[in-house]
Amino acid sequence: MAFLFYLAFCVLVGGLAWRMVTYARTPAPLKIPTTPAPTTVPGVVFRMAREVLLFESLFKANLWIWGFGILFHFGLVLVLARHLRYFTDPVWGWVVLIQPFGIYGGMVMVAGLAGLWVRRLAVERIRYISTPSDHLMLLLLLTIGISGLSMTFGSHPDVVGVKRFFEGWQTFSPHPLPDSALLVLHLMGVAVLMIIFPFSKLLHAPGVFFSPSRNQVDNPRERRHMAGWAARFDKETPHG
Amino acid sequence: MKPLCLLGRILLVIGCCLVLPAGAHDAMPPLDIGQGGKCVDDPGFMRLNHMKLLLQQRDETVRLGVRGGRYSLAGCVDCHASKVNHSVLGTDRNFCQGCHTYAAVKIDCFECHSSHPRPAMESRR
Repeated sequence: MAFLFYLAFCVLVGGLAWRMVTYARTPAPLKIPTTPAPTTVPGVVFRMAREVLLFESLFKANLWIWGFGILFHFGLVLVLARHLRYFTDPVWGWVVLIQPFGIYGGMVMVAGLAGLWVRRLAVERIRYISTPSDHLMLLLLLTIGISGLSMTFGSHPDVVGVKRFFEGWQTFSPHPLPDSALLVLHLMGVAVLMIIFPFSKLLHAPGVFFSPSRNQVDNPRERRHMAGWAARFDKETPHG
Repeated sequence: MKPLCLLGRILLVIGCCLVLPAGAHDAMPPLDIGQGGKCVDDPGFMRLNHMKLLLQQRDETVRLGVRGGRYSLAGCVDCHASKVNHSVLGTDRNFCQGCHTYAAVKIDCFECHSSHPRPAMESRR
């Protein structure tokens, strides 16, 4: 299991870095911010923050997806924060404080995922355009969420043992994982998620920052927009 | 995505993992278990289930008046209070606080109950 997590970690970090380099290098030859767009850089930062934190464009597009999406993502933030207790020693003060909220976050997250899946299955035209990967991704996230909640409310694993396992993992001195089928299911799910992350639709997380229609300033008259390759071409062949 | 490139990366990672040292360091967090001795149940079982046992014992005592059950908080404290500060709390080596701080799990017990051994037990030590 420790080995699987080394592998998953490397695939996640390496894969994401590779994807982001690709995104950053992709030319954006046109000035195409979706209007109305901010005309200053701080304005764009503010717009991007609204997009990333509140899913503004999704709110305007579809309230149902936005609602379930917000539930899932905000729940996930709390859940991830709660899980920091396994990776820090001593546990940070604010992580200790938000422990109970992490549990609520878990419930909210699973509710959001269930809502998103019901929508995919119940709305006929959404079902028609759903691919197996759409369904499997929700299934994977739900498996992780439900197995996690089952350990909180049903069969507790040895959390001290779990933390020792991950401390050993961080210092390259592996510890055995406590016996618990739910724990193994949970961790396998997380490892699979980490491995497929750089090759899946989950790339919307880094991708949103590279979206030209959102990250461009609306100033085409003040400053001429040139892609790098086009600028070079401009210099090499002077116009008559 | 070029498959060769991906395969190469995976092989590299597997290679790295194989040469990593595979030692194990032990006993974290280090605990002062006080007097210790034979527990009322298997320690592994107690580690996972002490909270459920204590809650059930509480309900039986409060609602049904059953006293002298097998699992009792005062019993835990009697055996496991540190001989240094006579408590199961106080430092991150103490019996209850040690693991609870380590795993960031709140202990409610001692807001009402005593974390020190009962006097009869104390004099026997």
